[in-house]
Amino acid sequence: MPSSTSSFDFQRPFDFQRAIPTQPWRGITVVVVLIVMAAAAAWEIYVRSLGYAPTLNDTEDLWVQARRTVKPESLVIVGDSRALFDLDFDELQKGIGKRPVQLAMAGSCAYPILADLANDETFHGTVICSIVPGMWFAPGGPLVETSEKALKRYRDQTISQRASHHLGMFLEERVAFLKQEDLTLEMLLKKLPIPNRPHAQVPPRFPPYFQTVDRERRVRMTEKCARPGELQSRIQQIWLPLFTPPPPPTFVPREAFMAGMGKAIEGRFRDTVAAVNKLRARGGKVVFVRFPYTGELKALEDRLSPREQTWEPLLKSTSVPGIHFADHPELAGFTCPEWSHLSAGDSVEFTRRLVPHLRGALQL
Amino acid sequence: MLFNSLTFVVFFAVVVTLYWSLRSWTTRKNLLVVASYLFYGAWNPPFAALLFSTTALDFWLGARIAKAATPRSRKLWLIASLASNLSMLGFFKYGNFLLENFQWLMARIGIIYQPPHLDILLPVGISFYTFHSLSYTLDVYRGVMQPTKSLRDFVLAVSFFPQLVAGPIVRAGDFLPQLLEPPKPQTGRFLWGLLLMTLGLFEKVVLADTLLSGSADRVFGYGGPLVALDSWMGVIAFAGQIFFDFAGYSTCAIGAALCLGFHLRDNFRYPYAAVGFSDFWRRWHISLSTFLRDYLYIPLGGNRAGPTRALINLIIVMFIGGLWHGAAWTFVVWGLLHGLYLVIERLLRRFAGEAKWTESLFVQVILGLATYGAVCLAWVFFRATDFTIAMRLLRGMFGAHAQADAILGTREMLQIGLVTLCMFIAHWALRETGLEKAVDRLPRWAVTATWALMACAIILNQGNSNAFIYFQF
Repeated sequence: MPSSTSSFDFQRPFDFQRAIPTQPWRGITVVVVLIVMAAAAAWEIYVRSLGYAPTLNDTEDLWVQARRTVKPESLVIVGDSRALFDLDFDELQKGIGKRPVQLAMAGSCAYPILADLANDETFHGTVICSIVPGMWFAPGGPLVETSEKALKRYRDQTISQRASHHLGMFLEERVAFLKQEDLTLEMLLKKLPIPNRPHAQVPPRFPPYFQTVDRERRVRMTEKCARPGELQSRIQQIWLPLFTPPPPPTFVPREAFMAGMGKAIEGRFRDTVAAVNKLRARGGKVVFVRFPYTGELKALEDRLSPREQTWEPLLKSTSVPGIHFADHPELAGFTCPEWSHLSAGDSVEFTRRLVPHLRGALQL
Repeated sequence: MLFNSLTFVVFFAVVVTLYWSLRSWTTRKNLLVVASYLFYGAWNPPFAALLFSTTALDFWLGARIAKAATPRSRKLWLIASLASNLSMLGFFKYGNFLLENFQWLMARIGIIYQPPHLDILLPVGISFYTFHSLSYTLDVYRGVMQPTKSLRDFVLAVSFFPQLVAGPIVRAGDFLPQLLEPPKPQTGRFLWGLLLMTLGLFEKVVLADTLLSGSADRVFGYGGPLVALDSWMGVIAFAGQIFFDFAGYSTCAIGAALCLGFHLRDNFRYPYAAVGFSDFWRRWHISLSTFLRDYLYIPLGGNRAGPTRALINLIIVMFIGGLWHGAAWTFVVWGLLHGLYLVIERLLRRFAGEAKWTESLFVQVILGLATYGAVCLAWVFFRATDFTIAMRLLRGMFGAHAQADAILGTREMLQIGLVTLCMFIAHWALRETGLEKAVDRLPRWAVTATWALMACAIILNQGNSNAFIYFQF
């Protein structure tokens, strides 16, 4: 093979030809296609036997698709995964008169989304905002980045990314093994039971697949997770380390770190007030909702972020109406199968019972 | 449009089907122009207009250079081409960098100057297509090629979608002759092209993004001191990631071009089996290093102006090479470090001569590992977003932190170790022969199994992948 030269007289015939290995390429290609198709089919059958079913991945592109449907007077849901699992769109539409746009995101701090709506001069609709204090007051890190990445995608999404998203949805609705949160090579490797070094600061594991998602981003817990069993208890045990804040970094003095955190939380209170006021000034409405959580997770969350230090001051400082599930017997009686979210069936009933409270809070 | 996207799969299938169905060579070339602009416009349509305007300008300037009656006017037309291309690159890529450094310089002499922050969106692949286009006027000026009479052919040479946004940097002189005659359909070439595309995607999606990038990102993104093991692992992960990411793109580009009957030269030749730094640069991003050699190093005097001047020329070239990668001083330091490595190597060669004992395989491997280690040290500056991070990581690599953290899991370290080991074995096995010869010798079942395995691994990743690193350059 000739090396790169500086001879470019293209009147001469072009003398560089890549070598093509001598192999029976036709036969090889046919066998490769057959193997790949057989392997994909076998993998599909296997994962279906494990309980997986075709459903969409809740990607940034799916979020962007929802964000694009926000109209000036829309009813918008923002927040964390509890707002995703626990609200039923049909019940909300029946009770409030508008079909909601779901902008909540699993494992996220929703403040940047609220701020984005507040900064959107065209928007003067209604926002149902789920509050999990440990997430809402996160000063930065992955929880905030999740929201910021989605917003960046919303601003920068290319034509090609949109096209890929639509092609992807077509496949995801038909193929069960297309589960980005659980069945990618990366996720399969993460499941390998390999012990880590003591003191290695390895991020906690995320829960496996336990929900279905549709094109409206209506998320429903799978029946397998709603029933007591190995999957349910595995997810319960995953929430505990995930909801426990990581230890302060070793390279920042503890006092300085705590002071920084305090400042960041104060800043979030201030920013939330500013965002809410901006929205209200244009005629928008906001309601904060604390969705049910139960079991050991409730004990942990209540200990880490007591209501009187988080929820109450947030309502007071913003003057936003709030609905805390624990304040209302008809909302407090639900059990979250894996401690953090309602089952698909319960989410319908919960929304039905929540609607009168929402109407009252929003003065509808 | 990314190679690792479903849109590209559909786009490529449609383009290839139409391309080989059409009879007229002119229509096929027109199709490729339209496809290339669609490919590029899918990022940001207005930038397609920018791409066309710079291409058209260089087409016109190329003709002016060829027709110029005097050496002085030839030079002036060339300067016009250089100025237009480099000023566009300078504005989009280095605008804010230059302003920030000007502000810093003013502050040193006591002048407080607050420049406006320019909200400039960098056109994807601008560094690549500027060089594609510039190679044309430079070669016409040097008299090594005649200007083409077809604007359409030149537009296609600059914008040919496989190599448009992340290389290889294909010189007009390498591509334009291929547009004279239509390639004949060849099943072997087409299917080998598909296999190369699978290999490129496997390198990018599986090796770079799935097995290495997470660890590299965590190590370079960590805000505190790290223990030596984690620091080294992070840097080694990045060394593998950047290779598989960029070489993966080049391999895809070469494969896609082959499917359409075009031949692009190699951009990588197993660089982590390089023995010494001049060998490394003959193997890493070859299209850039030969571009800089032919259009910068040699015009600066190359080796002809004496040994000291040659060393200075090397440093200048590597400085420019560093800056080409990004508007940050960390890239400059990366380039300068490589320049320093090359200078030291030349000096050592001059004093030590061609020592026979260095030719044994054992010594070659040791020297190869030393080269790899030094290249890894330089990667720290390439990947780190600022000098604080780079210095903290370097201190970590040499165990200089009294108290440091471990952040990588055992699985991540096993992944990095295994991928790096396999990469070394492959690079050393192929460094003298190349992939084509190796595949020639493989039994057909091994080719079939490897191809099928790579395809299955890509499907298993479900498109869960990132943009190619070199797009930002």
